[in-house]
Amino acid sequence: MSGEGNGAASGREPDDSGKTGQPEDPAGLLDEMRALRRRTRTARHAYWFPLVLFGLLTCLSAPFYVQWGNLSQAGATAGGGVPFAMLGGFPAITTQRYLGYFWLVALLGGLLLTLLWYRWNARRVGLQTPARGYIVTTAVLTVLAVVLPPLSQVSWLRFLSLLWPGDLVIRGTFPFVIIAVGLWVLAWAERSRALTVIAAVYTATALLAALYNVENVVFRLGWNPSGWQWRLTTLPNVLLPALVLLIAGTAAFAAQRHRAGAQA
Amino acid sequence: MQDVAPEPEIRPHPTSGLDDTVHQRHRLGILTITAEAQRAEFGYLRETLGLTAGNLSRHLTVLEEAGMINVEKGYAGRRPRTWVRITPKGRAALAAELAALTELLRRHQ
Repeated sequence: MSGEGNGAASGREPDDSGKTGQPEDPAGLLDEMRALRRRTRTARHAYWFPLVLFGLLTCLSAPFYVQWGNLSQAGATAGGGVPFAMLGGFPAITTQRYLGYFWLVALLGGLLLTLLWYRWNARRVGLQTPARGYIVTTAVLTVLAVVLPPLSQVSWLRFLSLLWPGDLVIRGTFPFVIIAVGLWVLAWAERSRALTVIAAVYTATALLAALYNVENVVFRLGWNPSGWQWRLTTLPNVLLPALVLLIAGTAAFAAQRHRAGAQA
Repeated sequence: MQDVAPEPEIRPHPTSGLDDTVHQRHRLGILTITAEAQRAEFGYLRETLGLTAGNLSRHLTVLEEAGMINVEKGYAGRRPRTWVRITPKGRAALAAELAALTELLRRHQ
């Protein structure tokens, strides 16, 4: 195949394709396109930022999980009149009353920053990732988490309560599940196997944090809390997902810098 | 009554699936890159494909006239920016071209 010999504009274009000595056969052309696709995909990957951002936001949420109040009153107000119960859990069981407010602001603010990051990165690299699906999915899930509990109190909408199983939200770690769903959508948008693996590991961690008291594992590893330390026993459920995001985000950043250095 | 033997099925040669507009290394490269992103910037295409600005413009015009890409002009601050977005027709043409090349390769092996 001649570099300029086949197109409608072939008669007008100087043949600059021949300069590079690129292969003409189908196998060479296919290899060249595969390499181009791989290079483009790698260049536009920018997912380290939302990983690190939501890892840091999870760390910032830790004080809201510390049981500052009287531990003997645990369970006294379970479920009744809780603001943003799907985001903040049931206060007086494991979380602080303002955890729901924190996660509402953190999730929507984090999404806004991620949107700005992808726009800035597109201008910098020259390639735009279709991140809108990720932003919309996570935002819609966050809004649903806010509106479903009050709506399910309405008599003719009680069936909506089936959509928020208490086991997933009671510990106040349901925001991790929302972040996990968002990561699957982002992995598809980024066409990244690495991010798919990260999303799988994070989803497992998020579900563990939502359904199980991770401190039991820490106890078996030798932590024997006494006195005020009991107030911190909910933190392993928070710090484990945060750790996954921070390690994955840092590794993705380092890998991207390494690849950029290798290409330059 | 004489049995009529069925005519052997004539399979078209893979080269008949090659589209003149797409079957050009640089235009194929433009479609490959733009299919991988929501949109690609003129400067990235020029640098990655090793083309001059004039040459890239001509290739983009051919693809745009064929309805395979959309060209969007805008500004980033005061800098003019040209973004290229592949159309569904461009995606279909790229898939057909790659399928034809793969079939051609399979026949030669």
